[in-house]
Amino acid sequence: MGANLQVRALSKAFDNTVAVDDVSLDVSPGEFLSLLGPSGCGKTTTLRLIAGLERADDGEIVIDGREVTNVPPQRRMLGMVFQQYALFPNLTAYENIAFALRVRRQSKSEVARRVGELLAVVHLEDAAGRYPHQLSGGMQQRVALARALAAEPPLLLLDEPLSALDAAIRDELRTELRRLQRQLELTVIYVTHDQAEAMAISDRIVVMDRGTVNQIGSPQELYDRPATRFSASFIGASNRRLTTVELVDGEPTISWGTARLPVTPNGAVNPGSTVLAVWRPEAAAVSALLPESAVTAAMPSALRGRIELVTFLGPITRLDVRVDGDDEPVLVDLVSAAAAHLEAGQVITVTVPPDAIRIYT
Amino acid sequence: MASILSPTTSGYSPRRKSRFSRYVIFGLLVAATLFYLAPVYVMVINGLKDKSYMTLAGMWNLPRDLGGGGFPVAWEVLSPNIWASLRMVIPAAILSSLLGAVNGYLLSKWKFRGSDIIFTLILFGMFIPYQAILIPLIRTLDLVGLYGSWKGLVMVHVIYGIPIASLIFRNYFTNVPSELVEAARIDGAGLIQTFFQIMLPLSLPAFVVVGIFQFTNIWNDFLFGVTVVFSPADQPVTVALNNLNGTNSVDWTVVMAAAVLSALPTALVYIFLGRFFIRGLLAGSMKG
Amino acid sequence: MAISSPALPRDVVVAPPTSRRVGFSLERILSPLLLAPSAVAIFIFVYGFIGYTFYVSLSNWRSAKPDLSLRHPVGAVYGDLFGQSRFQIDLRNTVVFTLFFLVMAVLGGLALAILLDRHIVGSGFFRSVFLFPYALSFITTGVAWSWIFNPETGVNLLINATGVNDVLATYGVGPLKPGWITNPEVAWQLNQPIAAIYPPAAEWSLKLGVPLAMIPVAIAAAWQLSGFAMAMFLAGLGTISQEVREAAALDGASDWRLYKDVIIPLLNPITVSVLIILTHVSLKIFDLVFAMSGKGPGFATDVPGIFVYEMIFRAQRYNYGAAAAIVMLVGVSIVIVPYLARQLKTL
Repeated sequence: MGANLQVRALSKAFDNTVAVDDVSLDVSPGEFLSLLGPSGCGKTTTLRLIAGLERADDGEIVIDGREVTNVPPQRRMLGMVFQQYALFPNLTAYENIAFALRVRRQSKSEVARRVGELLAVVHLEDAAGRYPHQLSGGMQQRVALARALAAEPPLLLLDEPLSALDAAIRDELRTELRRLQRQLELTVIYVTHDQAEAMAISDRIVVMDRGTVNQIGSPQELYDRPATRFSASFIGASNRRLTTVELVDGEPTISWGTARLPVTPNGAVNPGSTVLAVWRPEAAAVSALLPESAVTAAMPSALRGRIELVTFLGPITRLDVRVDGDDEPVLVDLVSAAAAHLEAGQVITVTVPPDAIRIYT
Repeated sequence: MASILSPTTSGYSPRRKSRFSRYVIFGLLVAATLFYLAPVYVMVINGLKDKSYMTLAGMWNLPRDLGGGGFPVAWEVLSPNIWASLRMVIPAAILSSLLGAVNGYLLSKWKFRGSDIIFTLILFGMFIPYQAILIPLIRTLDLVGLYGSWKGLVMVHVIYGIPIASLIFRNYFTNVPSELVEAARIDGAGLIQTFFQIMLPLSLPAFVVVGIFQFTNIWNDFLFGVTVVFSPADQPVTVALNNLNGTNSVDWTVVMAAAVLSALPTALVYIFLGRFFIRGLLAGSMKG
Repeated sequence: MAISSPALPRDVVVAPPTSRRVGFSLERILSPLLLAPSAVAIFIFVYGFIGYTFYVSLSNWRSAKPDLSLRHPVGAVYGDLFGQSRFQIDLRNTVVFTLFFLVMAVLGGLALAILLDRHIVGSGFFRSVFLFPYALSFITTGVAWSWIFNPETGVNLLINATGVNDVLATYGVGPLKPGWITNPEVAWQLNQPIAAIYPPAAEWSLKLGVPLAMIPVAIAAAWQLSGFAMAMFLAGLGTISQEVREAAALDGASDWRLYKDVIIPLLNPITVSVLIILTHVSLKIFDLVFAMSGKGPGFATDVPGIFVYEMIFRAQRYNYGAAAAIVMLVGVSIVIVPYLARQLKTL
């Protein structure tokens, strides 16, 4: 059963640079939590603080009710997987996995039994006697995972464990990792800069920016309702413009190119104020226009533009559309079947439902 | 060698005109080789000559026979000191390597506030002229009863070997990823367990480098040997050779042969393990 | 595929709750604690001993019996030392030796490295030969070279073999037979030119010039250490990418220009390291000279290293020996301390 973890007001600075600033987290047993953000956002430092590899300047870390802020890593009972695997090059796969058990003075038979189990779990029974340099990257990472699990830590920390691997192996290992975590009911803290990966694997995601927590939520919540400008721009593809809110017939609208789109802000927005408007590529609908005919109002309530690029992505097709009066193309994702008749150069109308446009002040 | 056939693979790309310049370069290298081997040649051939026909005027001539020349006598005179040197050098080289390994590990993977300054202060110790510590050194050795004994000499070499051994090991361990130490800690190993189970096995190449480099350095030392030990049989071979050279009654074939014998161990180490020696030399001189 | 999860023994899983602060702090002092034996040894045997030697250099200790009373006025020993003609000669010799040795060893090492950079057949063998002397002791080197530079044999035999002396004899000129390490002459004396500008210089007893016997010693030292310079330069050349060379070649640069304008400037950091290391070796030089020529005729090859040794172990004038050793140390420190300080910054 996984541990619960509380992080309270954690802070850490290196040579006057604040790496982690007042971070608090509450992780339930068996939860898969990702720390997501660009490089330098403090996610790895947060993980290393939890691991005990760095000393917190301030705040506290509690694992299963035990305050461990100043406990050295070897006595925190964690497992950790590193980006570059960090396998001991002088030990075989078997000995690497056995390391934590031997250090903790388990009996020989107990070590053999446990390592055998773990080798089976990560499908490496045949590689037990091989040294790390004789293993592929994917196999090395499996050994690293098995090694981290050897002592049955209730809390597993992973620092971008898949980023050094090829895409195919990455997906496979990701699925396996998730399955294993469910099966063992492990609590996992997973650091990544890859938002798609975080989306795919996590129960909850912590979006971090410049050392602080930006938003915590399920992948769905983060995608549908990013709480901040940063989350909105960092997670998922989106169309974003800085614009101003104006009332037209008492209804709030924003300008986008030469168009004026009705919106439904979730909070109070002062007319005339500058905001960030964001909508997802898949939120829009498209209709083909007859060339140059259907330009109706001076300020249309839909975007009119010319398709610059059609990119077939399998189930969906992405359009880059140059909207009239706009500097850069907007992205529109359609179900591929619906986009079959579209081609570059065509002029179309893009309709964005008002409640699909999120406004950030 | 492959570079001659495939010019772009390494170092320098020869152009067409360079066939001639290659001969010139080869000639220069051969000439330099003659210069670098001349003293060796003089020592070996005159050591091999019999004193009956060894003359100053015939120094460059080859020996007339291979009767061993001055070598039997030189061995007789010098062998106690060769053994004395070995007895002293081997433990000193091993001990200073061990200390260097521990220090290098701590100074690279367990830095603490001020550890870099301590490291730099330790390093300074390898540059000082040892004349500047001789008087108190001898008084101290006298005080602890080690003055005049080869064990005292071992201790002196171990202590003054700390800087260079720590430097080479530190540079070596710096290149070992810190994640290995972190992974070991997460898995429950502390500083000492990590050292013995992970870092020490990994540092075998550094041990070879430091061991060979220190073997050579300590074998070649003269100042400590001549000042710390005074029983002729316990003196290291460098001291014995110098004494022999200064003795007028001994014929030169013996001196030459003795010079060869005294150089033989380090020469053999160099010939067979030269690449480790070069690594030590480059590591010991620090980077730019 | 289920993993059975028997709990680990309790004492392993749960660290005692008292480990709150103890854990980290214990580990934090472990590293300095384990470093302490070496650090303390160095602090005593290097810094403490230097302090002691410095104290001796200020004392009255001039016999077998230790006498640590301070000599008045403080520093008088140094005044005497610098007033001694032998020590003045030693300082002159050190400067001359250093200059000749550095030029030969550094240029020689650089030349060898550049020649070997061309990947000629057998470069591995040549490299091993050139570095070989570095593995030998100064004593062995000194013994060998003392015979080569003995005027009755060695190099002079080779000079005879060239036939130069036969030619000279037909002109009735004496044979060319340098005295090498036995030559007491001081060439290129600067005393007169200096006296022309600064009259008191005419009174100096020290002959400012090049003691000719020092040159063979510098050759022997360069023979021994040029291989070190070569190895350093070769390591540096190895880091210069092929692209740089090819770019220069494409620009039509000749080999000469390639080396002069591109490669040698790129080697500058290495050159500085080589110069610093070899200069400090040169300031400390002792065994080589001791075995090769000793003090030399009229102290022509005497150096501070020998001076200290003789003052302490022969003359038992400990305070003079200590003072001269401190002078050596100061010289070495001037070269080494900035170097170490720079290293510290990059740590």
